Amino acid sequence: MHEVTTETINLTIDGIAVTVPKGTLVIEAARRVGVMIPHFCYHPKLTPDANCRMCLVEIEKMPRLQTSCSTPVSEGMVVRTATSVVNESHKSVLEFILANHPLDCPVCDQGGRCDLQDYSHEYTPTTSRFIEIKRIFKKEYFSPLIETQMNRCVQCLRCVRYCDQVMDVNALAPSGRGTMTEIKHFGDHELDCEFCGGCVQICPVGAITSRLSMYEFRPWMLKRADTICTYCGDGCQITIQAKENELIEVNSAHGAGRNTGDLCARGFFGYQMSTHPHRLTSPMIRRHGELVAVPWEEALEYLAEACVKLKLAHGAQAFAGLASSRCTNEDLYLFQKFMRLAIGSNKIDSSARYGHINAVRALRRVQGTHRWAATFEDIVRAGALLLVGTNITETNPITGLKVKEAIKKHGATLVTVESLEPAVGKLSNIANLSTHHFSAFPGTYPDVVLGLIKAVIEGGHLNADLAARAPAYVQALRDRVGALTWSAIESSTGASESALKEAAQAFAQAPTAVIILGQGVLRTPGAEGVTTNLLDLLILTGHHGRSGCGIAPLAEENNDQGAIEMGVAAEFLPGPYDITDAAARERLAGVWKDEVPPSSGLTLMDMVDEARLGKLKGMFVMGENPVASLPASTGVTEALQRLDLLVCQELFLTETAKLAHVVLPASSYAEKDGTFTNSEGHVQQVRRAIDPVGDSRPDWEILSALSSLMGYPLEYGDAREIFKEIRSTIPGYRLMGPAPQPPRPDGQVVDRYLQEGYAKDLATRYRLSSSPSVGSDHLTLRLVQTLFHSGKLSTYAKGLLAVQDKGCLAMNPADADQREIAAGQMVIVRNGQGEFRTQATILERVPRGLVCFPEHFAAEVRPLLSAVVDPVTRSPYFLSTEVQVAKLD
Amino acid sequence: MAKYEKILLANMEQPGYTGSLADYERAGGYQALKKILGKVQPNEVTETVKKSGLRGRGGAGFPTGVKWGFLPKDYRGPIYLCCNADESEPGTFKDRQLMERDPHQMIEGCLIACYAIRAETCYVYIRGEYTLATTILEKALTEARRAGYVGQNVLGSGVNIEVWMHRGAGAYICGEETALLESLEGKRGLPRFKPPFPAVVGLYQKPTVVNNVETLANLPHIINKGPEWFASIGSPPKSTGTRIFCLSGHVKQPGNYEVPMGITLRELIFEHGGGMRSQKPLKAIIPGGASAPFLTPDHLDVKLDFEAVAQAGSMLGSGGVTVMEEGTSMVWAATRLMEFFYHESCGKCSPCREGSAWLVQTMRRILAKRGRADDLDTLTDLCKNIAGRTVCAFGDAEVAPIMSTLQYWRHEYEELIEQAEAANLVQIEMAGAKQ
Repeated sequence: MHEVTTETINLTIDGIAVTVPKGTLVIEAARRVGVMIPHFCYHPKLTPDANCRMCLVEIEKMPRLQTSCSTPVSEGMVVRTATSVVNESHKSVLEFILANHPLDCPVCDQGGRCDLQDYSHEYTPTTSRFIEIKRIFKKEYFSPLIETQMNRCVQCLRCVRYCDQVMDVNALAPSGRGTMTEIKHFGDHELDCEFCGGCVQICPVGAITSRLSMYEFRPWMLKRADTICTYCGDGCQITIQAKENELIEVNSAHGAGRNTGDLCARGFFGYQMSTHPHRLTSPMIRRHGELVAVPWEEALEYLAEACVKLKLAHGAQAFAGLASSRCTNEDLYLFQKFMRLAIGSNKIDSSARYGHINAVRALRRVQGTHRWAATFEDIVRAGALLLVGTNITETNPITGLKVKEAIKKHGATLVTVESLEPAVGKLSNIANLSTHHFSAFPGTYPDVVLGLIKAVIEGGHLNADLAARAPAYVQALRDRVGALTWSAIESSTGASESALKEAAQAFAQAPTAVIILGQGVLRTPGAEGVTTNLLDLLILTGHHGRSGCGIAPLAEENNDQGAIEMGVAAEFLPGPYDITDAAARERLAGVWKDEVPPSSGLTLMDMVDEARLGKLKGMFVMGENPVASLPASTGVTEALQRLDLLVCQELFLTETAKLAHVVLPASSYAEKDGTFTNSEGHVQQVRRAIDPVGDSRPDWEILSALSSLMGYPLEYGDAREIFKEIRSTIPGYRLMGPAPQPPRPDGQVVDRYLQEGYAKDLATRYRLSSSPSVGSDHLTLRLVQTLFHSGKLSTYAKGLLAVQDKGCLAMNPADADQREIAAGQMVIVRNGQGEFRTQATILERVPRGLVCFPEHFAAEVRPLLSAVVDPVTRSPYFLSTEVQVAKLD
Repeated sequence: MAKYEKILLANMEQPGYTGSLADYERAGGYQALKKILGKVQPNEVTETVKKSGLRGRGGAGFPTGVKWGFLPKDYRGPIYLCCNADESEPGTFKDRQLMERDPHQMIEGCLIACYAIRAETCYVYIRGEYTLATTILEKALTEARRAGYVGQNVLGSGVNIEVWMHRGAGAYICGEETALLESLEGKRGLPRFKPPFPAVVGLYQKPTVVNNVETLANLPHIINKGPEWFASIGSPPKSTGTRIFCLSGHVKQPGNYEVPMGITLRELIFEHGGGMRSQKPLKAIIPGGASAPFLTPDHLDVKLDFEAVAQAGSMLGSGGVTVMEEGTSMVWAATRLMEFFYHESCGKCSPCREGSAWLVQTMRRILAKRGRADDLDTLTDLCKNIAGRTVCAFGDAEVAPIMSTLQYWRHEYEELIEQAEAANLVQIEMAGAKQ
């Protein structure tokens, strides 16, 4: 465990007195007083290696020059960084490093932001005494995304250490000895790793650069915009760099944002989807069955008229709206306001319905918050972490880094419940770091959770105060878990009594604990109940409500959290407040100067049903693509085809947009201002990096213009004006500081839950899932998120397609052997509903009996799937199905 | 011939001594272990070793008992002993003989050290090329395990000491104690920066002592005959005991000679080594392995103890004494050593990595009569800029041959450079004549 020290040390650096915490390194202490000590190998994220010898300083009473990057401060230390001896050493180290350096700055992409270049200008003469032959490495094709030029390498090993210490990937290693040391990867193929771009970012010279922007720029040509990534819910701060409206590169400054400068492949290499040639550049109207391009005025006037007509004929209740939670808060806020006021319908929903809303509902129910009560910092400092149903490395990689940091740097206990086998592969695997891993089958995660609760209650790890505070609650839960037998739990999950008890003990006894749950829970039946059970686990162990503890549901899309808070949900008004909440309606009416329609909301699947029945006539779809997302058997295509008016605001002509009557080109996140709320509940600024592509416009602007034409003007000058209104309407949007202040659980709500709230669905929640018995030749097909894609948006990103451009069926080696399937072979996957062909890839981390296919490329898989609709939250679940897999001859 | 009492080589010089467990026991082996196991407190063993004045025989000469004393007090958890058998210093071959001819002596030393520092595990990190020594040690370890000297509950004392062999993979740097630990952990053998020292954070982040084979082999004798006896041998108070000098080069009888510390170079070379191999007089001496600066015939009366050799501007190092006769090119000798260091520089620190490549190229150029007038200044600068600026002592070592040959035989460099310049001049004249 990391010890937080308050002890301080006084020292003098170049005559300046400074007081720093004990354990601070001299180089950091110097930075505090503005003394920058040159260095290559040091990086605050990494353990010191002291190999470049650039940061040598004089320290009184020490015999030789000392490396300031590896020397901790001590009381009374006197450091000198600018004496002639020190300057001489800087010069000499640079002379050594430059001896073999090719000095090819004119063709090096690092030129202009290269540490070696900068220090050379500062310390060395312009001519070199080195007249021998320079060392030359054979040029290698490294990978489609990362370029290496080892002749430029200064062997600081920052890339290698980053890849190991931060990413836990270990894709890079030094090879060769002495001057012949070069950075390589393992195997005789091109680099095959997580492509987080960390090595590109951390290289102090031009040895490792991005191929996506090779030779295209000099740093001073680039316009920078600090904004937020549009892929997953981690909400990483990125800096988009553009040259003349062309996206050149993305990076993230060290320490910046919630990601502290770390990125994943999607963030670092996935930016080019914004300028994909297939972007919609002009509005389109369907005429004689064809979508034809028209000017904005024509499209909007046509649309306004059509809306008004339809509303007159069928009433406002014939309208529904569906929004993507990739949109900004401003877009989403205006979307629901437009639907509720300009149209007059509460029938709105967002893609948060697929899963994230389940978690928010459970949080509201048990603790009265809709956000995490913990932060990323709490994850890093947690004594114990419980990960349920999340292959975090692939779905939420940066939250994954926080988990890795907690374990690797601070020795946290990690309990994982996820269908992953611990195995070394090209991607890091959180199961490898786990202290208590339950490789349960998808669908049985809830049973493992019940097992843990049983182990806590029966293993004597109950919080002492709780029994007094809520005896009935404890007794009820004790009775429930008492009815579950260990053998039943084991036969369902494969988790033994002793393993569960050990994990429960470690979790309960840790000083702080955070539960992280992902799509494996949130997008499977009973999601809200399982989240509630996990909150029970926190309550029972006494972690609930304690500072540094909490439950952290991971959002799949970047603004799932924001969509719900903006009230783009059937059951919520902005806030979120229940749609039936009279006080909230009144407050909103005060701001809006108009009444919220009295009607009730409608969820995604019910919209599909009503459209099929002809009850819905018009539908606004903002950035969402239900046709490609939902299984074919839901009949979504046929339902949408029955609409009189389908309007799509989109970046691309998606499967849904192809059915639309009006298609309006929207701007991507890179072209607009606004805010995103990450899964942690942190509201962050999105800034425009390039001008809108073609004639596209931000979604809110489209809605604003349309509302005016419809005679209900919702006018705003810019996104900030909408944000001002959001601020006055929704709590939690008043502060946009560098670190989030998590809400504390509402004591009254918790009390109400403990007194009676828990009881209503106890029987459903505390029941083992009935595992379907399947034939021995059946496999469970599961749609999964992969590291290299997010939704379908990323499948337009050139960089990501270079790593993964199609879906492959991942299967366990034993299952593959049994079917005589070799890696890379074509297979046929079939069940009673349909079949598809794909390539097999064999991965040891996939457990036996399971085959995984990426959801991003699942168009052909849709016929095989069926959706189960949650009876309570109406979320459609369709990630799993039973299939047979055979080799294709 | 037995002028001095031998300690380490005594057994193996007995006729018919095979180094087997039976032979070793017959010669009084494992008595020291029996004497202390469960009878003498571990810290008292450390005190005994401190009292004996035993200093490390690997090169740095750090007092062994003091090194042990750096282990954290009141620490409960694993402590490791690593026996450094990665003997790779050019001109050094004493550990090899100790391991091949009397393996149990070293093993007993390891066991005593383990007992003293409360280590339950000892790793013998042996040079990969020492295949014979590895086989012999493995066999000896099997014998010792069967006899109950090694393993769980050693000789019924309740003390557990496991000894494992680990073969190196051919890197000189892995003889450096922290690089050895990295290599032992399965990583690339690169030195760690210090502090923390291995005694605090060593193998697998646990307190660790790394001792040389010869150092450890001395332990049974110190226990058996007492620290006072040991301290009286050699050149007390600071250089006690004997030293096995590995005499090589242009002498009549090269080989390992165990003599008390403090005899002169002259005695070693001319009495024990039988003098120079031919009529040519002595020209240069490396007194302590390739890392030690060269000495000249003027230093023949320097006493072979740590202090005296250091005072003469070199170091006692690993005990490898290489002798060169008149007629040897010192530039060639320094280049040859530089090539070794260039080949073995691990590449961690910029000055050593880049400097060794630079130095070796310049040396080769001078030797090939393509030197330039300013090369000697550059060489001197580079050497100064490497020494003392690297993580481990390799940086200091690699410049020793060049620095010392430049000091004593600078004219040899100058002659080669003059010849190069003369040749250049001829070429320029010829080029001019053609026009």
